[in-house]
Amino acid sequence: MLGIGILKGMAITAKNFFGSFVNKRLLPTLQYPEAGNSVTLFSRNIPFLVYDNDEDPLGTMRCVACKICEKECPPQCIYIVMEKDANGKPAKRPKVFDIDISVCMGCQICVEVCPFESIKMDSTFELSTPDRFEGLLLKREHLLKSNTYFHKIHPDEAQEVDDRLAAKQKKPAPTPSTPAA
Amino acid sequence: MIIAFSILSVIAVISALLAVRLRNLVHATLTLMAFFVALAGLFILLMAEFLAAVQILVYVGAVGILILFAIMLTQQVTGNVKEHIEAHGALWGLAGATAVLLTLLLPAILKTALPLQPVVETIDPSVRALGLNLMSPYAIALQVIALLLTAALLGAVVIAISPEKSEEEKKS
Amino acid sequence: MTPINPDQLIVQLTQWALSFLDSYPLVAVLVAILLSTVPLVAVFPICFAITTWLERKGLARIQNRIGPNRTGFLGMLQPIADGIKMLLKEDIVPKTSDRLAHFLAPVVLMVPAFTILSVLPFNRNMIPAAVDTGVILFFALGSVSTLAVFMAGWSSRNKYSLLGGMRAIAQMVSYELPLVLSGVTVIMMTGSLDTTKIVAQQQLSEWIQSSNAGLQCLGQIIGWNVFTPWGFAGFLIFFVASLAEINRCPFDLPEADSEIVAGHLTEYSGFKYALFFMSEYVSAFAINGLSTTLFLGGWSGPNIRPPWSDDPNALLIPGFVWFFAKMFALMLVMIWIRGTLPRLRVDHLMGFAWKFLLPLAIMNIFVGGFYYYAPRWHGIPVVGWPIGFLVMYLSYECIGRLNRGPKTAQRVYHYAS
Repeated sequence: MLGIGILKGMAITAKNFFGSFVNKRLLPTLQYPEAGNSVTLFSRNIPFLVYDNDEDPLGTMRCVACKICEKECPPQCIYIVMEKDANGKPAKRPKVFDIDISVCMGCQICVEVCPFESIKMDSTFELSTPDRFEGLLLKREHLLKSNTYFHKIHPDEAQEVDDRLAAKQKKPAPTPSTPAA
Repeated sequence: MIIAFSILSVIAVISALLAVRLRNLVHATLTLMAFFVALAGLFILLMAEFLAAVQILVYVGAVGILILFAIMLTQQVTGNVKEHIEAHGALWGLAGATAVLLTLLLPAILKTALPLQPVVETIDPSVRALGLNLMSPYAIALQVIALLLTAALLGAVVIAISPEKSEEEKKS
Repeated sequence: MTPINPDQLIVQLTQWALSFLDSYPLVAVLVAILLSTVPLVAVFPICFAITTWLERKGLARIQNRIGPNRTGFLGMLQPIADGIKMLLKEDIVPKTSDRLAHFLAPVVLMVPAFTILSVLPFNRNMIPAAVDTGVILFFALGSVSTLAVFMAGWSSRNKYSLLGGMRAIAQMVSYELPLVLSGVTVIMMTGSLDTTKIVAQQQLSEWIQSSNAGLQCLGQIIGWNVFTPWGFAGFLIFFVASLAEINRCPFDLPEADSEIVAGHLTEYSGFKYALFFMSEYVSAFAINGLSTTLFLGGWSGPNIRPPWSDDPNALLIPGFVWFFAKMFALMLVMIWIRGTLPRLRVDHLMGFAWKFLLPLAIMNIFVGGFYYYAPRWHGIPVVGWPIGFLVMYLSYECIGRLNRGPKTAQRVYHYAS
């Protein structure tokens, strides 16, 4: 019969209409501020710096200011200055570690190249600020986040990293005696 | 009643004058439609609702729209102001018209005694009378008009079928 | 004191109020005019507000969204927020536009939209203007809106506006024919152009006045024109044509936003736009009210006589409740259709009106005539009903099949499987 297609279409929309009241799948909207967010395990946007001990963030940060990430960063949004102690000898940690997140494109290359597992991807997204210059230039203090936080947002990856670091800790014992040939 | 009549007739006269005088064709058509609507209002004052409704339906809804369509197909909607025909004999024309009115028409109007119509208290549904008249005494006229309109419709269809397309169809 | 009749309460109140003015006939006339027009101008904008909310929520649900939910409970204050936004917006008039016509267009659209409401019988004795030629007057005044749309399109001096205006004229003039012709069947069967008589003809007064409550209920329903073959076909034709007449989906070509910006509304902003928007909805209500009157029994619905009353015509539920319920039901179907069907192409639109709806409407008139004269058995149309239905169905199928375009070959996709 003619016109049956129209009726079929109407039935589908009616199904969507009534289904949206009972079926959660037919109403996927999340009421954002009230009903949380839809951050998944794999979501990532900007990097952060990992430290191990919650009591002493600056002392136990993994970064040694090797500046590999600064060099590798495609949009060049990382700026690192190594800290020097009283004698002018370089201390293996950054004095300045800035990331301009208005430039950062979330490519994760800094994470890939870091040999010390010290820079990882964050999944925070509420980054809006009224100041578009200073507010979007994240300093070392803003970027430092604990390993427990890392475990919270990306548990699998954090566990993997921890295992790797533990393996490295064991290995270095014989390393000095057998120098690389 | 008198107030409504005067307002409607003033609107009718002014819009009819504007329809003639305006240089912009669309404006002229729009004022013409205002005239039609005012006329429909006058019909309503005469308690001829059906006539008023038909006046609006046919003249505003159909004829006016047809005129607008025709205007949309023309090249120049607004007339060229420079080519305005300068008529200097307006005064003479007015004088002549007044003279005719005073000498011929006015005495004639005054002399004729119009028979006073009895005041109608209740009007029989005029549509019924109209329909009965159309169906019995004027049935043949109605049929002839219907035939004419059908012929016109068919003619329009024939014109609308473009000959090039039919040749293409023959080939294919 | 007469017993209270909920159905006629408003009418009785009006008459009671007017009885104080008996000694001032001129004032009484003015007050009577105000009492019949002010409710129209007050009620229908409220209905419009409710409908915009219903439409936004309903469309949202159809599209698996939530819809407005920030203003008030379930976003119910959204129409007020929209209204404030519209009023506060700047009224921008294009420099080269025809200012007078640009200004007058919303007014010309607004006046007939509200005027045509006055011939609709909302209840027994509740019709703002009881005229003999109600239906014709409705169609006549309704056709003025075409002019308003053209004025809006032409005066804006914008090619999109003009295109929208031209589309609107072509569409509205074409769809007026099936609209009127499907109404003609009802007029022919009733033998009157009076809307009150058309409603009265759809009620079985013997059943309504009987003492059995079930019969009273049924008598208000069984006579609706939509339950006859010509009435059913006529209702469908009327509904589809009215969709086109008020430029609603899927016939919203004049304001097709993906093709011609917003058609004749492109150059309108602020309050004038709001007026256009409101008139569109009010005329939608009006035309739904007319199809309710013509086919769905007007203000009659499942209703019984109040137990305390011995007036045979008294009703428990006021008739206007049923009228507005049916009107809103039709409005909801329009929203549903808007959420379902995509917009038609221009040539399809015209073809649909002239090659499908018009022949069907003319056929419907013949079926109506046959139904009227077909022999009946105890008043039941045993011959007229089945044969009329069969004829209408067959002509629907035949006209539909004749309209089928040439069969196109299956499209071959070269790069997509």
